[in-house]
Amino acid sequence: MSSRTPNSDDIVRPMQRTQKWYYVVFGLASLLALVWFGLWSIQLSRGLAVTNLADWGSAGGVTWGLYIGAFIWWVGIAHGGIILSAAVRLFGMKRYLPVARLAELLTIGALSMAGFYIMIHLGRPDRMAWSVIQSYPVTVHQSPLVWDVTVITMYMVMTLTYLGLTVRYDINRLRDDLPGYLEPVYKLATLGYSEREDEVIERIVWWLALGVIVMAPLLLHGGVIPWLFALLPSMPGWQGAIQGPQFLTIALTSAIAGVIILALVLRRAYDWYHILTDDIIRGLTLWLGLFGLLFIWLQLQQVITGVYAAPLDERAIAHAKISAPPYQFAIGVVILAMAYIFAQAVKPSVFSVRRSLAASVLMLAGTLTEKVLFVFEGLEYPTFDMYYNTPGHYFPSPIEIGSLVGTLALCTLFFLVILKVIPVIELHAIEELRGEGHAPAEGDD
Amino acid sequence: MSREDDSCGHGSCGCGDDETADESFHPMGEEYEAEMREMLDDTEYDTELGMDMAEDSLRLIQGEISEAEFHEKYNEAVVEEFDVDDRPTVEAFEEMKAEEDENGGLFEKLTGDESIAEKLSNVDTEMNQSRRDTMKKMGAGAAALGLGGVASAQSSGDPKDDGYGAEPVGDTSEEGPQMGMVIDLERCDGCLECVTGCIEENQTSTGANWMYVLTYEDENSEQENFLVRPCQHCTNAPCEKVCPVRARHTRDKDGIVLTNYETCIGCRYCQVACPYGVNYFQWGEPDVPYEDLPGSENDFEELKQMPDDERNEHLTEDNDHIHDGRGQWSDMRPPQGVMGKCTYCPSRQDGHQGEEKVGTTACMEACDAAGMSAIHFGDMNDPESRPQQYLQQRAEQDFARDTELDNGEQWGETVTPWGKLSAWQLLEDLGTEPNVVYLGNQPGPDAEQIEGPVTYEQIGADDNRKEHLDQFTVGTGDD
Ligand code: SF4
Ligand code: SF4
Ligand code: SF4
Repeated sequence: MSSRTPNSDDIVRPMQRTQKWYYVVFGLASLLALVWFGLWSIQLSRGLAVTNLADWGSAGGVTWGLYIGAFIWWVGIAHGGIILSAAVRLFGMKRYLPVARLAELLTIGALSMAGFYIMIHLGRPDRMAWSVIQSYPVTVHQSPLVWDVTVITMYMVMTLTYLGLTVRYDINRLRDDLPGYLEPVYKLATLGYSEREDEVIERIVWWLALGVIVMAPLLLHGGVIPWLFALLPSMPGWQGAIQGPQFLTIALTSAIAGVIILALVLRRAYDWYHILTDDIIRGLTLWLGLFGLLFIWLQLQQVITGVYAAPLDERAIAHAKISAPPYQFAIGVVILAMAYIFAQAVKPSVFSVRRSLAASVLMLAGTLTEKVLFVFEGLEYPTFDMYYNTPGHYFPSPIEIGSLVGTLALCTLFFLVILKVIPVIELHAIEELRGEGHAPAEGDD
Repeated sequence: MSREDDSCGHGSCGCGDDETADESFHPMGEEYEAEMREMLDDTEYDTELGMDMAEDSLRLIQGEISEAEFHEKYNEAVVEEFDVDDRPTVEAFEEMKAEEDENGGLFEKLTGDESIAEKLSNVDTEMNQSRRDTMKKMGAGAAALGLGGVASAQSSGDPKDDGYGAEPVGDTSEEGPQMGMVIDLERCDGCLECVTGCIEENQTSTGANWMYVLTYEDENSEQENFLVRPCQHCTNAPCEKVCPVRARHTRDKDGIVLTNYETCIGCRYCQVACPYGVNYFQWGEPDVPYEDLPGSENDFEELKQMPDDERNEHLTEDNDHIHDGRGQWSDMRPPQGVMGKCTYCPSRQDGHQGEEKVGTTACMEACDAAGMSAIHFGDMNDPESRPQQYLQQRAEQDFARDTELDNGEQWGETVTPWGKLSAWQLLEDLGTEPNVVYLGNQPGPDAEQIEGPVTYEQIGADDNRKEHLDQFTVGTGDD
């Protein structure tokens, strides 16, 4: 299969042909998205009372739950995606060039879902824009939530710039093969394009990639997102310096898993076996293993320090955590996935794309469970632990779970649409595979 | 004090960031500077000189110029203006330094260690006089030192100032009134009257017990203990810091922590950041409709436009219960999707419920009416206020009781009544600087909540809001 030589016809195929599966998936995703919008409208009219959330404290509930957990999960995928793509460009990992744009698109899709989750989570989404803007000059100095909004917006802009710049090259060269009805869009995208800019753009993209890599641990998923929790002394399950690295490793794990799934689905759909090769999947699987290992390592740190001789409040949450079935599930599936990855590294014949797909799905399930649990369990074990008489228990309500299905459907729709608009695999990648590459990246990995 | 907080504009919400917009040198901003200028105009001294000295003295305190430079610059002018100047020039520096050790003159104070600002801020509270009066009394010199701003950064730390020795708990406030409570848990019998009082006053929805009384058992005592838990109206309130829209804020006038119901977006970050669990979100439709709240006919925007006097008159006439003196909707239960918590009854404090209710809260009233008087609300910075007087009285009582037992301990320098009081604050070491002071037993790490002598059911309230809310959950309950 992979003996075929990739050419530019391959990457414009999604825009020229629409197969039956496309209509089926599109219909199904739209249906699910619609159902979710129906559920959301119930929440909008009746208030968040329709969820299983409640006040913590004397009321015995948790005030943040699946919505915030899923928010972090989506942001994690998004941030991991852009880090992945930046690493490919910055370190010249040409082997992964075919998935670089997929990772960027995943970032845009996932980041949009994260933003949507903020809206879903709010009691008064109607006021969001105005209230935040009005007080922004002051709150940006003190509220971690505002830092989050700032950084998410900034990364959205960076990723769009990134994509916008790199896509010019492709569109200009593939213009004739692209659908005519989108001509105005392409015109706009390639406004003022000349071949002389290629080199400049490559340099700009390199700098953007550098920015992403440098800021990832400092600001991004190693910074402001965990600070939302890590800075609060009232919740021992949240507070502490480990959250930064912990969040970052989970983000990278989720993102690589997401990219593997995307790559496998697309190569099946568009017969891209010679572009998104087994070799790429194998490599990504190894990276998945590396970040999965870091994830497990940091969990171990937290559990051990929590159960050995920790202060009472930290001890309580650590014990609760390890005895919680969702936690055991999360860690269990991650370990299972790790076992496969380790085995295929030692014995290459163990590798199969199906198994890698399964490992990726397990990883994503594990990180999502861990994030949701992290949020609500932190609130169930506060430092002020005297509200003993009213121990509520949280389990996401159908509407909350519906939001997961809804956002997954919306993200799928996003990809289905984008497949029809721009090539999701870079022309550079094809050139590279054909040995005509002129990418500035030095050396292969 | 007339610096009204409009909560979201560039007012003075205590965010510490407001001065970036104006050109004033003073940390308290342009408005304060204008006030200072006005005061100097009232004195017989040279206003410009005073203002210049004030500016430079701030630079001095910030270490931008040395004290010798400062005095060199103003020596002549001061001699001319005040006839004398006993401040040192560079030549006199050594000489003054020697004297300083003996009697700690103005010079020593200027060098910052034992700040004169601190002394003067004590004078301010002790005499219970407005800053304006104090400043006038001190004349140009005081203004020149830019004391107002500096004093606010200092706390009154001198243990012997009030004649009762060191206060039992740190003074958490900045200058100006700081409402708070002294709650004597030894007087509480768990009747839950305060809980009822608050619910009736604020028409909160089922289970939103802004005032909450925990009955608990501790490991080594059989006895029932109570913890009366309103919002702590923290000086360093984490709920306020994290709010992404500044809906949660401290009111400048009296240090009350409020939620602006008009701007809150319902993110519930304040609720997760508060260590005490005192916030109650309005998850669904409130039990009591908006139209039934006194004052609901008043429009927030219109109120904001009115001059202060007119607004307050209007609100008082209307018996408005939902807007505070600034015209902000932040009293009684919140609307759907917005955060609520104990408010310290601001429409009472602002006189809209009549003069007689100023300085009271519904929970305190209910507790008094039940004959318990465990809750004492008032300005924690005012030695004459009910909570401070109560503390003093309790201290004296305990002292008297103890001297009878101990035989011969003498009231005075070393024996202070505060030492006999077991006063504490909730989760003090989290640094929130709560403004509720408790007397009585402090719950230990093994404290466990038990059913109280009067249950929430008996008073028609709901202790477990989660259970109550579950019936609205779509898809799991009997929807
Ligand atoms: S007790 Fe909680 S809600 Fe009240 S001021 Fe302090 S932090 Fe804020
Ligand atoms: S719930 Fe309202 S008051 Fe609380 S932090 Fe969010 S916006 Fe601010
Ligand atoms: S001060 Fe007012 S709002 Fe707070 S608990 Fe008492 S009655 Fe309720």
